[in-house]
Amino acid sequence: MSAASLLEVRELNKHFGGLHAVRNVSFDLQPGEIVGILGPNGAGKTTLYNLLTGFIAPDAGGSVRFDGRPLLGMAPHRIAGLGISRTFQLCRPFVGMSVVENVVVGALGPRREPGADLQAQAMSLLEQVGLHGKEQQPVESLSYGDQRRLEIARSLAARPRLLLLDEPFAGLGSGEIAELSALIRRVHDEQGLTVLLIEHKLHEFMRLVKRVIALDFGEVIAEGTPEEIVRHPAVVEAYIGRGNEIAQEGTHAA
Amino acid sequence: MALRSGQRIDAAGAAGFVALMAALPLAFDSKYLIGILTVSVIYGIWAVTWDFMSGLTGRENFGHSLFIGVGAYTAGFLNTVYGANAWWSLPAAMVVAVLFALLMGFPTLRLKGPYFALAMLSGAVIMQRLMLIFWEHTGGEEGINGIAPLIRSQLGFYYFALGCLAAVTALLLALARSHWGLILRAIRGDEATCQAAGINVTFYKIASLAISAAFAGAGGALYAHYQLQVSPQLFAVVTSILIITMVYVGGMATIYGPVGGAILLVLLTELLRNFGEWRLMVYSCTLILILFFLPGGLVAPTWRRLRAAFGASS
Repeated sequence: MSAASLLEVRELNKHFGGLHAVRNVSFDLQPGEIVGILGPNGAGKTTLYNLLTGFIAPDAGGSVRFDGRPLLGMAPHRIAGLGISRTFQLCRPFVGMSVVENVVVGALGPRREPGADLQAQAMSLLEQVGLHGKEQQPVESLSYGDQRRLEIARSLAARPRLLLLDEPFAGLGSGEIAELSALIRRVHDEQGLTVLLIEHKLHEFMRLVKRVIALDFGEVIAEGTPEEIVRHPAVVEAYIGRGNEIAQEGTHAA
Repeated sequence: MALRSGQRIDAAGAAGFVALMAALPLAFDSKYLIGILTVSVIYGIWAVTWDFMSGLTGRENFGHSLFIGVGAYTAGFLNTVYGANAWWSLPAAMVVAVLFALLMGFPTLRLKGPYFALAMLSGAVIMQRLMLIFWEHTGGEEGINGIAPLIRSQLGFYYFALGCLAAVTALLLALARSHWGLILRAIRGDEATCQAAGINVTFYKIASLAISAAFAGAGGALYAHYQLQVSPQLFAVVTSILIITMVYVGGMATIYGPVGGAILLVLLTELLRNFGEWRLMVYSCTLILILFFLPGGLVAPTWRRLRAAFGASS
């Protein structure tokens, strides 16, 4: 099973001083999977992403392998160059540039197709994410929801094999969430892209992913299908507290 | 088509500018004017090279005089101590300036915010002190005298310097408008996002500093062969500040704007000589007014407006 894993995470740990932010985290991603990481705020989800993408070095002892290659100790741009694209929880566009320029920069990494028309590719990606007509606008003029779409277009421009989305729905209205999750599902279906996404909201997320890894206090507390996860006692406890029953639909840990 | 006519206007503007600069000494036939124009053209090279690295990436280099100084001293040493032909000065100055850029860039370009600016400033100050400490070799406060001219005719040297400015500006403008320039502007926007896009941010910053330093150093060598002497004053912080001011007046991150900024400020300095003691006061007030009312600079926005006017009429 693990020989065919696209991403193999073993015994990953990270301390920030006295805080054990990520605790013995191990999991596998199979090629073409769409998996969610669920956990309340402060559970260590973003730290986990920063460890996987090389932005933060983990404590000694763990291992991360992407397509069999060990990633630990690699610079973030090298990891990205292997085909792992990420978005950021708070949108981090290239300010001072146009929307289309933002996407073109996303394509300038080492996975660039030689001779490709990057401008045309960027235009078509922007159309796919629903930013048609806004290509030449300064990026600062985009609404928050549009900035989220742009983040996804920019990360897709790098032609990734694995897409890591960090709370793609944060700060969006329910209509925007539905559109964005349709977009994620579409790129997953059409390109066979492996997607890992972080959320602390259950609703849209549960319909989007096939498998959920639940984190709390930096530790994997449960793993399973969305239906199993919402009933899992450890998840219920993490969200609602001990001795309560979780409501079946639309639960949201604020 | 619209884009193409815009490019034609740009090319015509550049050709017109070079023709004007070339015609000025012919029209007035004054050695004094040629001298001022030569200095303004060399400052133009320094301002353009500063803008390529610092304007595009937003990492402000407060020690550009370091590269100018090492370029000039390289020319001085080669020419007077080793008796090398003056033409070796330009490539040698570029190589030495690149070495200093790598030496300064590797440790300092990882720094964020004002620390890069401060580290570069310190580099220039340290070199200035070293020139005084090792006075037996460097000539101390006096510097190195008796450097041979590159071209005997004053007008010939001015045309050569003007050609260098045009070539450096064209090259850096082409780089700035390529994917390379896009990456530098993206680094200004957000470094972490660049890394997430697979871009080796450190490489681009250091390589850009090296390119900037190479031509600034060549400009330093030109200056040495114009003044026929070099002094530690070349490393002075005020030189770097003056260059940054020229870029602001010209229009940050436009590459061509700082050329105009440099020429305007050198001419302004000369025009204000009549004001005697009031000179610095008038100069500073003019600058403050420009920076306050025209935060985008004076030269580049003016050109953009002219360009639109031409584009509309043609």
